[in-house]
Amino acid sequence: MRRTLDRFVTAIATTCAIAALLVIGGIVTAIAWRGAGALSVEFLTDSMRGAGAAGGILYNLLGTLILLATALAVSLPIATSLALLHGVYLRSERARERLWIALTVTHGIPSILFGLFGLLVFVRILGFGKSWLTGGILLGIMMLPTVSVALAERIRALPAKYVETAAGLGMSPSRIVRSVILPQCAGGLVTGSLLGLARAAGETAPILFTATVFAGATLPRGVVDSPVLTLPYHIFVLSQDSLDPEARARAWAAALVLLALVLCLSLAALPARLRTHEEARHG
Amino acid sequence: MVDATTCGTTDARTILHVRGLAVSAGPRALLRDIDLAIPERRVFGIIGPSGAGKSTLLRCLNRLVDLDESLHVSGDVELDGRSIFAPDVDVDTLRARVGILFQQPAIFPVSIEKNVLFGARHLRRLDRRAAADLAERALRDAALWDEVKDRLDAPAVKLSVGQQQRLCLARALALDPEVLLMDEPTSALDVQSTDAIERLIVRLAPRCTIVLVTHDIDQARRVTDRLACLGLRDGVGRLVQCGPCCELLDGRTNAEVAERLGGGSCCD
Ligand SMILES: Nc1ncnc2c1ncn2[C@@H]1O[C@H](COP(=O)(O)OP(=O)(O)OP(=O)(O)O)[C@@H](O)[C@H]1O
Ligand SMILES: [Mg+2]
Repeated sequence: MRRTLDRFVTAIATTCAIAALLVIGGIVTAIAWRGAGALSVEFLTDSMRGAGAAGGILYNLLGTLILLATALAVSLPIATSLALLHGVYLRSERARERLWIALTVTHGIPSILFGLFGLLVFVRILGFGKSWLTGGILLGIMMLPTVSVALAERIRALPAKYVETAAGLGMSPSRIVRSVILPQCAGGLVTGSLLGLARAAGETAPILFTATVFAGATLPRGVVDSPVLTLPYHIFVLSQDSLDPEARARAWAAALVLLALVLCLSLAALPARLRTHEEARHG
Repeated sequence: MVDATTCGTTDARTILHVRGLAVSAGPRALLRDIDLAIPERRVFGIIGPSGAGKSTLLRCLNRLVDLDESLHVSGDVELDGRSIFAPDVDVDTLRARVGILFQQPAIFPVSIEKNVLFGARHLRRLDRRAAADLAERALRDAALWDEVKDRLDAPAVKLSVGQQQRLCLARALALDPEVLLMDEPTSALDVQSTDAIERLIVRLAPRCTIVLVTHDIDQARRVTDRLACLGLRDGVGRLVQCGPCCELLDGRTNAEVAERLGGGSCCD
């Protein structure tokens, strides 16, 4: 009886896994199929011309990278502080729970709401206009839960003996954070950041009104009124509005580049994730 | 109950004085009425059944109990005549003076040399020369130098458990502690490693006071000068007996000792 149930569960799990892989494989193949034709070195090193029908996506790629770098710079220190608050400094269980709930809720906020929030606060009230900084900050906030939860999980999994040993050697709490907890849990920070970036790279809604334009921008010179071109918005506009088959083919190629970027970020996080599992298994 | 004077009379000066110590976790009492006088530069043993609060008592002696908010300590511990719970005591300095060695070695995922200097480096500035000298001295003190001298940069986690425990000892010794607390330091080790640690304990005692928690009556016989026995009374750890090791153990078999100490359940 138990045997049969076991097999049944295994079969269902395998089917689901295969289905998921097929879907992912299908998406990748479809994009690669349509996008590969327009892909070339010039496509990556040229700026866009003719409303997307000619040239390349250099500034779109750079713009997306600028947003990601800003998002990382914003979220790393804040996420680290939150994770340390949760794992080290907050003494009451209630406070820790509240922080955790806040992170979970942030994770669940629809990205368009981040966009509207950014529009109101940064674009209108603070008068940034459309700016790469606003986009970076919004994406950074969106990444916060992913990054800080990944780090907090690592801190929680850190065996108490390390902290105890370090304290037993006369190290102060802040020393212990710097010399024991952060070095040993840095993997969580790396994993969380890469996964968060992978998600942020493809987000359109938060940057739509706040940070990006379709054309007419290169590298930002300042903060106020300096939007960037981005890959997701480029794809969005071309596939929605363009009737030109040449431009549509290039949209697919841009999608392929974005996909490759996201895959690279996710794959880069893999070794660190596997290592965590290894550690969990072997203690 | 045992009074502090029967335990404190010795030719050596008392370095740690425990007075009326009690520890509780919420409503539950773990330890009560502990009075001990621990003489300087001797090996002071603590034995007792599992759950009697030996580790908890040890952690009180360098305030590692502070790390656990659920534990409440009352009574006092004096180090060199000064209360370690006084508000002006710097707890990090205290822990450097009163080092601790745990049952399971905890090795940081860095090199052997970095592990040895892990605590020392954070207490005072060390240039390269001084660091190397200190590491060598500590490793020699822990009888590990010959085994690791040509791979100081190798990851310490590759060492055997017995070597790791001696590495932890070296790490504690690098701080020049006045007192070294040892919580069943040999229970995870094989006979040879146990032997090595026991010889080290005897060798270190003239320089540094050692408080050794052990399960093993034979080990207590071999290395301790004085002995305190904790027992469980109604689920609370109490001091049952305290005195010179020879007085408590000589001429008795382990079974008789266990019988006297705590109704047969004292030690394995
Ligand atoms: N933080 C804590 N909260 C609640 N109870 C605790 C805590 N720490 C220890 N205890 C309890 O205190 C008692 C004594 O624990 P302790 O580890 O000091 O015993 P021990 O004598 O060292 O035992 P062993 O020989 O098995 O190591 C145990 O019953 C344990 O469950
Ligand atoms: Mg114990």
